[in-house]
Amino acid sequence: MNRNGFVLTAVAGAALFCAMPMAARADSAALEEAKTYVTRAEAAVSDARAAIENGKSALVRVPEDSPLMEDVKQMLESAAENWAVAVESLKGASESAAKVGTASSESVAKDYALLAKVNAGVAVSGSRVVQIALRYVEAVADNKTESLDIIRASMQDATAAASQVQFNYERVKTLIAEKYSK
Amino acid sequence: MKTKRCGIQGFAAGLAALLIAGTVVADVDQAAAAGDLAEVSALAVEAKANLAAAALGGDVDAITEAGKRSDAVDAAVAAAQEAYSAMERAIAGGDQDAASTAFDDLKAAVQAARDAFSGVVPESIAKSAHDQWKESQTNTGGGPGRAGDAPNIYDVPWQSQGLRSFYQGLFGSFWSSSAFGGSRGFGERDATPE
Repeated sequence: MNRNGFVLTAVAGAALFCAMPMAARADSAALEEAKTYVTRAEAAVSDARAAIENGKSALVRVPEDSPLMEDVKQMLESAAENWAVAVESLKGASESAAKVGTASSESVAKDYALLAKVNAGVAVSGSRVVQIALRYVEAVADNKTESLDIIRASMQDATAAASQVQFNYERVKTLIAEKYSK
Repeated sequence: MKTKRCGIQGFAAGLAALLIAGTVVADVDQAAAAGDLAEVSALAVEAKANLAAAALGGDVDAITEAGKRSDAVDAAVAAAQEAYSAMERAIAGGDQDAASTAFDDLKAAVQAARDAFSGVVPESIAKSAHDQWKESQTNTGGGPGRAGDAPNIYDVPWQSQGLRSFYQGLFGSFWSSSAFGGSRGFGERDATPE
């Protein structure tokens, strides 16, 4: 091999040697990020669980003949739906975060981290909707009628925003699937 | 010949180094952009939850602050959605520069949403909705409503002098022709004959 060929090979080898630890660092950063999102989602689901417990005791205080009983029922139905979504999404986020560490390449690790992030987002938004719904029940139980309008409007806006989170989660799943089907 | 071969090999080495160093501009990551959209929408939900909590607490200042933060996050979400749509259109049209610009706008909107959630609210949103409406009104000649509103055909401009004079004149002639007006009206003569 002549001198120039040797230099070219040395440069390529050095670049590959430097690229390998960089890829390992990127994987661990993705793993840390995924874990952060999952931790946040776990905290939100825990808050929602506490809100459900408070809501049970508040519901007992709502008079049966209250004119707002219909609203309370709708809030509780919405809370139940969003609780199921939050729990399911938290499970999905944890599974995706676990796969980041065992991914076959940096690109796959990043995709799993992204899935963990959006799944965690769905879990957080579902949990917050549950909390808003149960705050409404609490306001009715404690006769805090001046806050009902604000909480009702917040619930409508939050439900719309939560559906946007789920829509974008589906979008991310589709885009990632398309990348690997090409 | 040897010089030419060295030059070609040198060029190849330089190109290889450039490619390996990753300085070639990558395409915009649409999945990551959708993930950012999900993040800002989740922030909007959290802002609404904080507003509901403040409303339940009853503290007016806390409710006002939570309302401002929530409005600011909503504005950032709208900007993020617009940037994502622009990015989609640019990618579909094959314009990578426009797609990169739209991606940068999306990132800026995401940061604005995070800042708004933490309490850094832009001044335009910090003003009340009524103040903003009032400032947006153009001069409509003093009448109610916005410049673009259709005219109220049943509205009578009572404050115009012309109309006042017209009605005063009408009343004047009605009074004069009545049993009480003019020379027949209340005057110096006695109300009842003595």
